[in-house]
Amino acid sequence: MAKVGVYVCHCGSNIAGVIDVEAVRAFAETLPDVVVSRKDLFMCSDSGQELIKQDIKDGVVDRVVVAACTPRTHEPIFRGVCESAGLNKYLFEMANIRDQSSWVHPQDPSGATEKAKMVVSSAVGKAARLKPLEDKFVDVTQKAMVVGGGVGGIFSALELANMGYKTYLVEKDPSIGGVMAQLDKTFPTNDCSACILTPVMVEAGSHPNIELMTYSEIDDVEGFIGNYNVKVRRKQTYIDWKKCTGCGACVDVCPGKAPDKFDAGLSKRSAAYIHFPQAVPKKAVVDMDSCLNCAGRKIGSEPKTSKKTGEPMYAPCEKACPADAVDRSINYNPEGEIVEVDVGTIVVATGYKVMEKDCFKELAPQHSNVMTALQLERLISATGPTGGKLLKPSNNEKPKTINFVSCVGSRDVNHHTYCSRVCCMYMIKQARLLKEKYPDLDIYMHFIDVRTAGKDYDEYYTGARRMGINFLKGKVGSIQTLDDDKMRVVAYDMEHGENVEIESDMVILATAIEQTESAKGLAQKLGLQFDGSGFFKEMHPKLGPVETATQGIYLAGCCQGPKDIPDTVSQAKGAAAAAAVPLAQGKVKIEPIISEVHAEKCSGCGICVPLCPYSAISMKTFADRPRAEIDITQCKGCGVCTATCPSAAIVLHGYEEEQIMAQIAALTS
Amino acid sequence: MAIQLSKDKIDEAINTIIEYGGDGIQRCVQCGACSSVCPGVQAGFPVLCRLLIKKLQDGLLEDIIEEQSSWGCQNCNRCTEVCPQGVRPQEVVIAFRRYQANELAFSTSTVSAQMQLHDIGHAVFTEAGELREGVGLPGKAPTSAYNEKAQEEIQAILDNSPMAELGLF
Repeated sequence: MAKVGVYVCHCGSNIAGVIDVEAVRAFAETLPDVVVSRKDLFMCSDSGQELIKQDIKDGVVDRVVVAACTPRTHEPIFRGVCESAGLNKYLFEMANIRDQSSWVHPQDPSGATEKAKMVVSSAVGKAARLKPLEDKFVDVTQKAMVVGGGVGGIFSALELANMGYKTYLVEKDPSIGGVMAQLDKTFPTNDCSACILTPVMVEAGSHPNIELMTYSEIDDVEGFIGNYNVKVRRKQTYIDWKKCTGCGACVDVCPGKAPDKFDAGLSKRSAAYIHFPQAVPKKAVVDMDSCLNCAGRKIGSEPKTSKKTGEPMYAPCEKACPADAVDRSINYNPEGEIVEVDVGTIVVATGYKVMEKDCFKELAPQHSNVMTALQLERLISATGPTGGKLLKPSNNEKPKTINFVSCVGSRDVNHHTYCSRVCCMYMIKQARLLKEKYPDLDIYMHFIDVRTAGKDYDEYYTGARRMGINFLKGKVGSIQTLDDDKMRVVAYDMEHGENVEIESDMVILATAIEQTESAKGLAQKLGLQFDGSGFFKEMHPKLGPVETATQGIYLAGCCQGPKDIPDTVSQAKGAAAAAAVPLAQGKVKIEPIISEVHAEKCSGCGICVPLCPYSAISMKTFADRPRAEIDITQCKGCGVCTATCPSAAIVLHGYEEEQIMAQIAALTS
Repeated sequence: MAIQLSKDKIDEAINTIIEYGGDGIQRCVQCGACSSVCPGVQAGFPVLCRLLIKKLQDGLLEDIIEEQSSWGCQNCNRCTEVCPQGVRPQEVVIAFRRYQANELAFSTSTVSAQMQLHDIGHAVFTEAGELREGVGLPGKAPTSAYNEKAQEEIQAILDNSPMAELGLF
């Protein structure tokens, strides 16, 4: 016979402001199996916890029901109380009379009190039938993986590596660096992006605990926290990276051309290319889609023989390479190579992309002098297509007037409702850099609001006003093309209350930051969820900002939502710290509230297998017949299999049939 | 008709105001705190502080040369007290008024006040002899209004000041 103790919490006015706590406590005393019923102002306080501990130690109770706030935040506390008093912690049950009664029925105190009684009664019914359960533990692979080699990924990898864990840094491009490497300077200090990023890239590239896997993508992930098996596809470079020294000789001679992604499409690169001058690792790659197969040298073919000289004819890249890294006779596999690695935890830092200007027909996207802010970033960068000179793409002349347009695709129900968070600052940065370089330049900035919330950011903005950069409140509604060179920007000056028109040579669109296209596939492989804005969803927006719903997978940087560099680095270091915890512990706990198949009842119908959202169930042969089996490391205790099983062969521990039926009986009697 | 923004006009407006003493104009972020406390705005002069600064930031210096609102400023300086950006809006208003005055674009009421200042040393003066005698004070107050020598001194000062260049006296 169970001895249930009921402890009713006032939770200050959260519960007691609506519910008659004494009435609930007195009612609990009348329930079957209840031996004691008490109340306290705050059950989670030391005095409240002591009440429970004392009753357990005195042998008064052997099942505990706390009627209080919510198991989301407080169940671990009360389980700990039971455990410290010597009671199995799974003999605890919570009655959620705050979320389910006082908070939702504040206008009806007596009704809320009656409902609270029912909730308590249901919890007591279940508690009386609870069975002790034991935590399980599995060992952890003490290695980590970071997906994404931008500034977030680099810092996560460095933190993990410096803690002593072998870390794989997977990057889809040939070099790490991400979008930050494309930037000219960074706000609010105006320090050169490459100057501050390059040393960190080099550190990551040469760290003994970091294995760079650039030009690679995640192919498949299996396993669970502590024991992930990741298949990484190393894309085909068509150049032997073991021999390549990054000298660039092949790049210089290659006649194939393609838009340069690193220059945001503003310039062309050759088919054989090095990602950017400070690339880490600095290795060349051949882009087969734009390769011309010079001298008929298709990959995997023997060189033709010259009719004139009788010598074999090699492609220019092959001839130019002093390190013999280019050999087109090799029959490369275009699929690349699959590398399998085992890791304990994974940090996802896949970054973002900026929206293309083509989505905004009203803003003359076809005009060559209308560009995205990332393109302008390349245009004013010393390593950009013009060597840092501000020149109009239409005729390579210096513009006299520039207009910046904010919130292009952000804060817009037609595209993205969220604020992209960094546009105000980077537009002000670009305007300031240009104004410093060309004081005669006439700069107009159109904002819905100016949002400059970071450390030293607002000072940066007010400084821009003092420099004579013109700020206009009101979004640009239309850009009219006057001729090949000029445009008319049509806006509304809200502060003035009038329409404004500005003749402009160049227009810069601060297009929205959005999730990368490859994120969806990665989410499926890692079991990640998306939030309403399309970014990866964190476990809790305030208290779980780097964790995800999948244990052992952590988030950093813009893949979780738009962020500036300081916030990305902070989160990256936070994610690394969280990802190191299971590695440091060496083992991970598996909560016993999971399902188990009773093989003798299982008919082997297999209905549960496709229904399991975590792919935890498989069919195994017992006594010559197929039976379902649940992998305890994969099971999350959702109970779908239990509810589905036609033979009632699957038991969800902690939610057994008898316990659920007792709850239903309490609520319906 | 939409405003045509141009660098030349903006530069001219900003530089003019800075020259006349309103050098905080570029610090304004258009929060409107100044106008919220302005007695002139409350009295129905709409183009004071915030909107005046905005129009000047948009380069509309000449366009608003006849604007009467600036003459509604009472120099109470509340705007300067509440401004979060250190613009000192009153100085901008006064700078604009200096510009208006130099272009002879002030209100007629202001002209008569200036001329009276030149004549008797008071911008606003009422004959209060009887009232003063009624309470036992000498009928003629000891001010420049009854002192020719003092009037001459004031006229000499004004004739030698930039005010004289306006040609009012």
